Amino acid sequence: MSEQQHSGTQDSTHFGFKTVARDEKVSMVANVFHSVAAKYDVMNDLMSLGIHRLWKRFTIDCSGVRPGQKVLDLAGGTGDLTALFSRRVGPTGQVILADINESMLNVGKDKLRDLGLVNNISYVQANAEALPFADNSFDIITIAFGLRNVTDKAAALRSMFRVLKPGGRLLVLEFSKPTEAWLSKVYDLYSFKLLPAMGQLVANDRESYQYLAESIRMHPDQDTLKQMMQQAGFAETSYHNLTGGIVALHRGYKF
Amino acid sequence: MLKLLLPGLLCTVAEKVLNPVVGMDPDAQSRLNRLQGKQFAVRLRGIPLRLVCTAQQNGIWLNSHDEPVDCSISADLSALRQLSDPSQLTRLIREDKLQIDGDLQTLQQFSQFFQQLNPDWQERLSVYLGDAAAYKIAGGIQLLQRRVQQSLQQTEQSCRELAQDELRLTPVAAEVQQFSNDVSAVAARTELLQRQLAGMLPQSQAFV
Ligand SMILES: C[S@@+](CC[C@H](N)C(=O)[O-])C[C@H]1O[C@@H](n2cnc3c(N)ncnc32)[C@H](O)[C@@H]1O
Repeated sequence: MSEQQHSGTQDSTHFGFKTVARDEKVSMVANVFHSVAAKYDVMNDLMSLGIHRLWKRFTIDCSGVRPGQKVLDLAGGTGDLTALFSRRVGPTGQVILADINESMLNVGKDKLRDLGLVNNISYVQANAEALPFADNSFDIITIAFGLRNVTDKAAALRSMFRVLKPGGRLLVLEFSKPTEAWLSKVYDLYSFKLLPAMGQLVANDRESYQYLAESIRMHPDQDTLKQMMQQAGFAETSYHNLTGGIVALHRGYKF
Repeated sequence: MLKLLLPGLLCTVAEKVLNPVVGMDPDAQSRLNRLQGKQFAVRLRGIPLRLVCTAQQNGIWLNSHDEPVDCSISADLSALRQLSDPSQLTRLIREDKLQIDGDLQTLQQFSQFFQQLNPDWQERLSVYLGDAAAYKIAGGIQLLQRRVQQSLQQTEQSCRELAQDELRLTPVAAEVQQFSNDVSAVAARTELLQRQLAGMLPQSQAFV
């Protein structure tokens, strides 16, 4: 899929398979996450059979995080990555959990507090497209399963590039394109039939999970995203396919 | 398909086992404070995995990556077990069983931390089982620990004897010494011969 196709036209964009006005998408995505926030973690474990934890672990490994560093967990939602980073950067470091959605941030705040992680974490409600941080602020930025929900992905990547310190790195963990045809078929069946049904059963919310499946298909594939990162200014961009390309982790540096 | 994710799985499980054990040792906290913010990496030869330990106030956190850390070692499994004895380090390095990069003090601090780990099983178990049962089980664990340690030592000793005396796979110290003397003697003789040849060369050139 080309970059133009997944970003829509100047006035319109995609919300799953639907074409909607750009302004409209923001509030539609907000509704999805307001609606799923309370059941988000349970559904994540259920839908991925717990494997999302390993994808996130791999992200931490690829970040090479060190004590004392400053990390931005963008579109951080309920804070899984924030928790992993917080323990590693320690009291001399800092993790900022930023998300556009207040409900998701609140669930995250409660969860991290229950885990006893309070000292080095701050919470910021922010849109990835226009980050409210000074230039060159972070050693590491991660955005996990967030980028596909952002309306203007190119603007978001430029904004991340701006706030990253020189020498810092961006990690984008996102659903992608399975590398094997058979896996693609199984995955389609799973995400369009089983996933909405599970959403209905557990969270009483078929539509949000239908959106999830559709938004995954509309997201740029591995090479397109890599190209978009390069266009935003990132160097030495690369990606790892995880679980047969169902998910990919992209990495890029600011030099 | 899951190969990239296996180290993460291993680290998750290891953290889940290790940190509760650290939490059961009343003295671990002060030793952790001393290590706080340090990173130490181990690569076991023959296994494609580099394990990075990050020490923080709230525990030891594990990762797998190739980034720079305060101290990293690459070692044989047998060498890893002897790390606790600082007097062995030079020998292990000389025998190429161990390679150390970075701050040696960090290595020793981590090594001491793990060695001195002494979880109070009885205290923790008594919360769930009551004092009497906890006392018995904790005694059992200590006995088991001693037995395992003894049998590990015995196995190591037997393997060494088997390799040296029975199978003659590895030489005993005297044989190594003898071999080393022989090599030195050959080297000395070669050098002498070289000098003699060099001395003969101008004469031979004179004939040409
Ligand atoms: C699927 S969740 C991922 C949460 C978390 N990173 C994780 O991996 O579990 C996607 C998150 O992206 C957030 N999000 C969507 N659009 C955003 C934007 N424009 N800026 C910041 N966050 C956004 C949503 O509110 C939601 O919390």
